Amino acid sequence: MNTTMRNLIAGTTALAGVAYAGPLLAQETITVGITQNNVGVDSYQTTYEQAFIESAEADPSVEAVVLDAGGDVARQIAQIQDLVQQGVDALIIWPTNGKAVVPAVRAADNAGIPVVITNSNIAEEGFDFIESFSGPDNITQGSRSAEIMCDKFKEMGIESEAKIVQISGQPGYTTAIERAQGFEDRLPEVCPDVELLETQPGDWNREKSQRVMEAFLVKYDDIDGVYAGDDNMGVGALNAAKAAGREGIIFVGATNFAVGYEAMGRGEYWGSIYQSPVDDAKNALATAKAVVAGEDVPFLNYFDTPKITQDNMDQFTKPVF
Amino acid sequence: MSSIAQKLTGGDLKGLVARNGIFIAFIAAMIAFGIGSDKFLSFDNLESVVRSSAMIGVMALGVTVVVISGNLDLSVGSMLSFGTVMVVDLHDKIGPGPAILVMMACVLALGAFNGFLIGFVRLNSLIVTLGMLSAIQGLTLIYSGGKNVDIDPSTQDTTWFRVFGRGDIAGVDMPIIIFFGLALIVGMIVAFTPYGRRIYAVGGNSTAAVFSGIRRRRVVFSTYLVSSFCVGVAAIILGSRVMGSQNNVGQGYELLVLAAVILGGTSLLGGSGSILKTVIGVLILGFIQNGLLLLGYPYFAQWIVTWIVIILAVWLDVAAKRGRLLSSIS
Repeated sequence: MNTTMRNLIAGTTALAGVAYAGPLLAQETITVGITQNNVGVDSYQTTYEQAFIESAEADPSVEAVVLDAGGDVARQIAQIQDLVQQGVDALIIWPTNGKAVVPAVRAADNAGIPVVITNSNIAEEGFDFIESFSGPDNITQGSRSAEIMCDKFKEMGIESEAKIVQISGQPGYTTAIERAQGFEDRLPEVCPDVELLETQPGDWNREKSQRVMEAFLVKYDDIDGVYAGDDNMGVGALNAAKAAGREGIIFVGATNFAVGYEAMGRGEYWGSIYQSPVDDAKNALATAKAVVAGEDVPFLNYFDTPKITQDNMDQFTKPVF
Repeated sequence: MSSIAQKLTGGDLKGLVARNGIFIAFIAAMIAFGIGSDKFLSFDNLESVVRSSAMIGVMALGVTVVVISGNLDLSVGSMLSFGTVMVVDLHDKIGPGPAILVMMACVLALGAFNGFLIGFVRLNSLIVTLGMLSAIQGLTLIYSGGKNVDIDPSTQDTTWFRVFGRGDIAGVDMPIIIFFGLALIVGMIVAFTPYGRRIYAVGGNSTAAVFSGIRRRRVVFSTYLVSSFCVGVAAIILGSRVMGSQNNVGQGYELLVLAAVILGGTSLLGGSGSILKTVIGVLILGFIQNGLLLLGYPYFAQWIVTWIVIILAVWLDVAAKRGRLLSSIS
């Protein structure tokens, strides 16, 4: 009887000990599951994944489950459900489609798993089910591009007469819309006399952008600046201007690509916005960790995307994409 | 007086309009845009439109041959991405000459695979090439690992590879020369050789063609080689023009190409159509998009107007054949 009692006490104490140690251990290592949009489709996403895995491995307190939806909404929803079943401590989602993933995100939220959205946000009706969005602020990017353009015109002394055209990203994409909006709102504030002649989409496609720019060059005899939604399209526009022998046009892009960086080095392209997939990935992981630790995280947790121009490009390494 | 008119019209004004509707639509569109924008008919603009249509045009030549034989090729957009990524990537590694040869061999192999499945195994061309559309896109991503490829900027202005997209002969841009030159060659083959007649025969009535001793399998197989060859040429123009490539650069181009072919009046049922008509179709498509842009219309107007023009062209074509606007079958 005595021994039984003693054993029982010992047993319950041990159990209590385990139960007590549980949360302690969980605080030391947390499991973060991520389902990405489409790794391998472009260099940005490829680099993002590498950076994410590297920073998770370098961090002893994090165990990462890294998945990729391959651009397929149905597969991403299945992956979210799998990660919920596995009981991860936090879920990071790079949405394949901002609307379609909302029900799966809600299910994860109902299961008590905090969700962080990375890179591009989900639709507004899903905001109640997520803890935070980690990614670039495309409106700020657009307004910074406007500032880069305006500063250069002031330096050249043509801020009162300059005429520019805009080549935007794929119609309907949030990133394309926000960058154009940021640019168009900021430009009149800093350079009220610069005239935006026309905007046409280049669909994130360098060849399409080159074609659009060729038409602009025919249509307008006087173009002082071109703003492109990313450097890929900016370099397409630059190609068109070079082929037409039109010199002195100021090219400003966004998301600095290697081709844009190199064109800056040659003095043909003025500036862009430096957006690093490594910073993007690190910010997402840090946001997820902070959420699990119960820290106060801003709902829109942006990482910084600084201005890069010919003047300060030596402070940045050449983008890998 | 009336006899002159009769000679000019072949005695049948309605028939003339019906037979040459596409030419008339082309001229009407050119006049309308010319009135709307003083830049439209400038030499610079006309040259720019033809140059930027050249790549779609080269692909449309091959697809026309496939469509005349009664099949479809929806894989040309992905194949263009594949070819462009490959030729640009290999340019710095093995030099422009070998890069072009290796790329052409790989693209022709893809075409041969299409041709084998459709000609010899006799699978449905829509299904085969729709499948190849995604398969080749996957192949491109495997090849590039998702990265954009670029020709080393320090050699972009010196490599002879630049000739295809950026060069000119006596002031005429090279893409234009390649497009019209290739159109002339393919057009002559299709219109004037026994091989050309076999393509029409297979597309017009496949069974009758076989009973007349035409080796249908070989003819169908060969049309996909022609199509992939044209894609290879387009990839060279594109790579040279842009000096770089994204993995999805040709995405959606299969529909643009098909639109140009249909606009030209080549029937999707096979057995009719011509290279000349496709050239006109390509130019109409290019001029519509350019004209609307010059007039300051938003991009979505281009999509809608393009659709309207295609529907009108197809309708006109069908109406001319049956002699009335609406179907006579209730």
